[in-house]
Amino acid sequence: MATHRGFGISSIEYPTGMNQNGDPSQAWVKVKPDGRVDVFSGTSDIGNGAKTIQSQIVAEAIGIPYDWVTFDNSNTDSSPVCTGTFASRATFVAGNAVLKAAMDVKQKILEVAGKEMEVSPEDLHIVDGEVQVKGSPDTKLGVADVAAAATWTHGVLMTGTGAQLNEYAEITNTLTGEVSGPPHAAISYAACAAEVEVDDETGDVRVLRLIQVYDVGKAINPSLVEGQIEGGALMGLGLGVLENSYPYYPSPDHRGYSIGSYYMPSSEDMPEYKTAIIENPSADGPYGAKGIGEMANNGQPGAITAAVHDAVGIWVTELPITPELVLRALDAKAEPRREGKLIAFDEELSVNSMASGISWSV
Amino acid sequence: MNIVLNGVTVAIKSPPLASLLTVLREELNVTSTKVGCEQGGCGACTALVNGKPQRTCLTPIAAVDGASVTTVEGLGDSDHLTAVQQSFVNHYAAQCGFCTPAMIIAATAYLEGNGSSDREEIEEALKGHTCRCTGYQKIVSAVAAAVAETTFDLTVTTPSPNTVIKSGGQT
Repeated sequence: MATHRGFGISSIEYPTGMNQNGDPSQAWVKVKPDGRVDVFSGTSDIGNGAKTIQSQIVAEAIGIPYDWVTFDNSNTDSSPVCTGTFASRATFVAGNAVLKAAMDVKQKILEVAGKEMEVSPEDLHIVDGEVQVKGSPDTKLGVADVAAAATWTHGVLMTGTGAQLNEYAEITNTLTGEVSGPPHAAISYAACAAEVEVDDETGDVRVLRLIQVYDVGKAINPSLVEGQIEGGALMGLGLGVLENSYPYYPSPDHRGYSIGSYYMPSSEDMPEYKTAIIENPSADGPYGAKGIGEMANNGQPGAITAAVHDAVGIWVTELPITPELVLRALDAKAEPRREGKLIAFDEELSVNSMASGISWSV
Repeated sequence: MNIVLNGVTVAIKSPPLASLLTVLREELNVTSTKVGCEQGGCGACTALVNGKPQRTCLTPIAAVDGASVTTVEGLGDSDHLTAVQQSFVNHYAAQCGFCTPAMIIAATAYLEGNGSSDREEIEEALKGHTCRCTGYQKIVSAVAAAVAETTFDLTVTTPSPNTVIKSGGQT
């Protein structure tokens, strides 16, 4: 018995959003009389941090502190339309919608502030919750005061709306699938490296390390990006070596009967993660951001498969790489697996016997 | 029957074989204990029963008559978080949040049992809790930091002020 270490790498190219089926996201933003801001966006936060990131975008775009922003929980009653949280689009598509809405409401704030301060709105900007005259930061008025003036003096409700709809890419050649415009809004790139340990006796594959480098355009919230990458990495590890519905999937009669019959990675299966984020901005994303969510679990199975090949010289062509697949591939490879021992086959006894250099001829 | 829920004695009307999970969620409106697999596998329903983490989905209410039950609602509120809760916030240790209350309960029990900040021991302590989002890394970091903060832990070594760290990382 011996364990073998191996390394493998894979690369990923992943499109953000869809330009083929219509992909709208809409948002509106309103300023309350005390200067705080409510954001209404159709994107549900399913744990990906969409609320946090969209609130950050609104705060940054208007020029107010983050904790002045309240993100209304999205619902199908009062929220604007959004096709949903999928296709790695929440930051890119919905983020663009709230960015446009925030820029719209910022203009309204500057117009009211211009009236109050008797300055042209073009000469004003907002820094840390204060409307300031450009080049003269001491001539200023708090956004809260502007909001109060809008409510009680000018009779204005300051709102902004924004909608993102990617240009529809029509199919121009049905044979080649060529489309009239860019098929996707942005492309993210990544690479994953895996280090594994393969036991040639049991066929067990343990993933020791996953090193990941992701180009996300702009990490609006680096900790959340890291969370997406690490979470995706463990899902990828599950796809690579653990999670299986063998042998009866997809027949519903034979689906798993208990949670214990489906191997999900636990905290003990966790490899050592190393994560690096590269910021190579996209042309159209909010502040250059691209999508990250779904690509985070694409690279690991490939890297693990390559690492298994590096370790024991077999290519496993099915996922997950179960001990059975490893042992069958090792058998097919027909090389002695036990180091320092000879494997001899005795015709008469019809058994495989293992011994150190002993001939079994009787 | 009654239980001492988060320090308050409450009378239970549910039948004796109702699970503690059902009683907590449906009779007492304590929803931090989650209904996951209901087979004792995922860990999302865990609460502290007499100070020890226990699967509430597998616990008939009659078996814990008179016991003290602590859920995450009994640990700290948003203005006064416990060290574990604050550490989870600081380390971004939650994504969708479904496993989080039980993870915090398990981590609290780990701290109260004088657990160390050794990552492998923390992984062992949390292995009965499934998380699909985070990849566990940030959860383990949060627990390790909470241990380091609340105890004087000899396993955590910091370089003395006079130590010079060269660019190669060697001292």
